Amino acid sequence: MVEASSTVLESSVTSCPVTVIVPAYNEADCIADTVNSLLKQSLMPEKIIVIDDGSTDNTAEICIALGVTVITPPQNTGSKAGAQNHALTHINTEYTLAIDADTTLKEDALEKLFSAMGDPDVVAACGFVIPQKVSTLWERGRYVEYLMAFTFYKEVQEYYEKPLISSGCFSLFRTEYLQQINGWSLQTMAEDMDLTWTAYQLGKKVRFIPKAICYPIEPHNFHFMRKQLKRWAHGFIQNVRLHRKGLLQVPFLRSVVTVMCWDASIASIFYLIALPILALVVSPAFLLGYIIDLPMILVPTLVKAYSRGETWKALASIPAFLVLRVVNSAIFLEAIFNEFILKNTLTTYEKGH
Amino acid sequence: MNIGLPGAGIGGLYYLTCTAIMPIRELLLTLKNPKHKFRTRLVATQLSIATGIIAGFILIYQLASHFIGFGISITASERSDMALFYSLLPLAISYGLLIVLLLLVELCAFITKQDKLAKHKVKT
Repeated sequence: MVEASSTVLESSVTSCPVTVIVPAYNEADCIADTVNSLLKQSLMPEKIIVIDDGSTDNTAEICIALGVTVITPPQNTGSKAGAQNHALTHINTEYTLAIDADTTLKEDALEKLFSAMGDPDVVAACGFVIPQKVSTLWERGRYVEYLMAFTFYKEVQEYYEKPLISSGCFSLFRTEYLQQINGWSLQTMAEDMDLTWTAYQLGKKVRFIPKAICYPIEPHNFHFMRKQLKRWAHGFIQNVRLHRKGLLQVPFLRSVVTVMCWDASIASIFYLIALPILALVVSPAFLLGYIIDLPMILVPTLVKAYSRGETWKALASIPAFLVLRVVNSAIFLEAIFNEFILKNTLTTYEKGH
Repeated sequence: MNIGLPGAGIGGLYYLTCTAIMPIRELLLTLKNPKHKFRTRLVATQLSIATGIIAGFILIYQLASHFIGFGISITASERSDMALFYSLLPLAISYGLLIVLLLLVELCAFITKQDKLAKHKVKT
């Protein structure tokens, strides 16, 4: 393990007992933006650690030049969770902020997220996610998906005190909790979901703070989007398997997960197979099934987009979302087939960009 | 992280129902605990979104029934009744399905809990 440039961050702004960990593998293109956005926070973290997980580019050099701590595991850990766990032993602050190497933050994001930690039962808090770049079809689809989900679904989940997931790209944790559960799980491809569901089963709370905004770079083409969706689909199935008994003891969460399982599997089959057949054989009116839920997408998306002054951008991106969700549902069905029929569990972590 | 078909299916209905319950739950929480602050802004925002979504559904149904009559060959006098029936049918099926699923999961939770309690009793 190599440790370089252990600079203690000094700033005129208030600091908080937070260590930021940024797992990075060949992130030279975007790591500077991420670190700079951390250095500009209204509430400064005590330490920023970049885990250079065997990069072959100059990720480490960029970070050292920016004055943050860089640690290098003896060999590539093979996953984001592995890199984060490696960093966990270097943390001696009360809180840990986990952020992806391609994610920048709004200036007050950490401050907003930190406010959730006033309640001692809260062990994790996450924020609103908005894609940093919105130009390709896939980025546009993701943009609508996030605006819709974080404005409506996640707000409802937060109201009932059970956000489904504390997003892996930007979440604040109580370090004690991370140590208690031995860090991020290597058993699933969605370690953030595992961590959130474990918290609920231990009687702890997770919060969603919509005013804490982060901007990750989303997959820009089909190749990377497929990898990410595959990882998410397999990760969800693996988590349902892993937590199936524990989940049943968590009110609201069990309903959310059940409904999600149904929509992702049965509704996907109906959407991709039954609807076109019914439209051909019975009546073209069944094609209405493809647009009947448009208000569900349009209303929350436009409410948020309007408040951000991005109404036209959101409207223009709606068709991309319709494409993305068809791909998403097909990939989920493929994941079910692989996990349950072929017993082919996904174990290799592949980066989504 | 969204999997499958975000926006479609019974998930939407589920979240709409959860939103509709919000003001009632909030009122109960306030009555139960006087220190609890009624989260007017949050509840109002979510209710507005839910109302907008429902209005959108009604609009689509109205337009569809007006222009295509849901593909059913019917007389003008029958049209309104049939259109209403066919427009409400998917909603009724979806809601029925949602209720059955939620009841099933609650039943599973109850059985698991009883099982756990029984095992705990045997141990002690």
